Amino acid sequence: MRDLTKHLFITLLCTIPFVCGCDMIEYHPYDLDIEGECDMNSRNIARIEASLAGRDEISFIVISDTQRWYDETEDAVEYINSRDDVDFVVHTGDLSDFGLKLEFEKQRDILNTLNVPYVALLGNHDCLATGKDVYNRIFGPENFAFTAGKVRFVCLNTNALEFDYSEAVPDLAYLENELDNLPEGIEKTVVAMHAGPYSEQFNNNIARVFQAYIKRFPDLQFCIYGHGHTTRIDDYFEDGILYYQCTCAHKRGLLHFTINSNEYTYEAIDY
Amino acid sequence: MSLLCTGTSYLYGGNNDTIRTRRWDKRVHQRFEGWERLKPTHIKMQYAGGMGVVSVGAGWDYGKRRQWETDMFVGYLPARYAKTFKLTFTLKQNYIPWSMSFNERWALEPFYCGLYFTTIAGEDFWGKEPGRYPNHYYNFSTKMRPYIFIGQRVNLNIGHKTVRNVTAFYEISSCELYIISKITNKYLTLKDILRFSFGLKVQLFK
Repeated sequence: MRDLTKHLFITLLCTIPFVCGCDMIEYHPYDLDIEGECDMNSRNIARIEASLAGRDEISFIVISDTQRWYDETEDAVEYINSRDDVDFVVHTGDLSDFGLKLEFEKQRDILNTLNVPYVALLGNHDCLATGKDVYNRIFGPENFAFTAGKVRFVCLNTNALEFDYSEAVPDLAYLENELDNLPEGIEKTVVAMHAGPYSEQFNNNIARVFQAYIKRFPDLQFCIYGHGHTTRIDDYFEDGILYYQCTCAHKRGLLHFTINSNEYTYEAIDY
Repeated sequence: MSLLCTGTSYLYGGNNDTIRTRRWDKRVHQRFEGWERLKPTHIKMQYAGGMGVVSVGAGWDYGKRRQWETDMFVGYLPARYAKTFKLTFTLKQNYIPWSMSFNERWALEPFYCGLYFTTIAGEDFWGKEPGRYPNHYYNFSTKMRPYIFIGQRVNLNIGHKTVRNVTAFYEISSCELYIISKITNKYLTLKDILRFSFGLKVQLFK
């Protein structure tokens, strides 16, 4: 009887971990041993550019600051999937709260259930510990641009405080390079970032320089950003370029924009 | 577990302390005297568990049935799983309430639990927020992670003069950031926040 119990226990001991699978073995919460799909932004950009090529009107949704609000993020995805007039989604950063690998993986898994392609920007929380390295692997470079119809979307890392002046944030050289190499047929531009000008994250010494740079893009329409966890609209530089701040997932709000050859529209939606 | 506590005879530990025997629990604390108390009573090796790929350490057991163990580990995370090779340092406290002896050689510790604090070296991680941030900007440490765990162990008595016995264990653990994430989100399952680790303990000298 004792032998039987012994064998039973030892068998149990040896099998439980294997039944539960390897994804439950973790070397460190901040390691770079990433499970699942990587390079999401470039895959999704290919889908956006292919499906909207030549289109005069585009429709997109902005979500932001979904960190540690997985249930709310799922609700946002459910809401977006319930609409059939959305071409793509822009997430303006803060996918993670603590910079943990798990947070990026789970947010990616939720966003991957969107019916439309999405891109995600780097938020300040995403820079914590090895967060930026995880972001770079799962989503891609922190400065990127893509074309939706005839509109160029320029997505920038503006979390200067996280980099302690050791890197160029925002990267003006990147903007110059983008300006020099704009694809043909671009009529309008939208700039997306996580932290807006005059927030504590932004390199405010060059806020006006930044504005001058982005206004060199073709017909800059407006800027979208997050970080503030409220919905607000500001004309920071009193030059008619509006900055639309998207609220956080906790407050269950998002922004919807349409851009056509004559005008753009926006609406702030609670889900 | 009341069945295990029905014994009535008494065992004498190294220091002549009397403890009530349990019919199945044959553990007795063998104390060192004098300076020898500083000698680690065991060494351990652990795989995974948020302390690097492999950690090695030494520790001390105490309590009348050796039901407490305190260990210190050094672990490593190779460059393959981080940008550069990283070291971890861990302080671990174990509580092993029960041991069931099957015979002279085999014993099972059906349940044990504890906690550990693990830190990781490297400039990506900070214990306190660097001065560039406004006060209380993030309010947590990226360097120090507390974990809690439960586990099971099997113990093989070898009886060698130096290597007294060898114990294999596994643990299910989670850190505080995973737990608070789970508490506020139905989306996260237990599988998302629980982690397995495995290890070996070698009891030395006594």
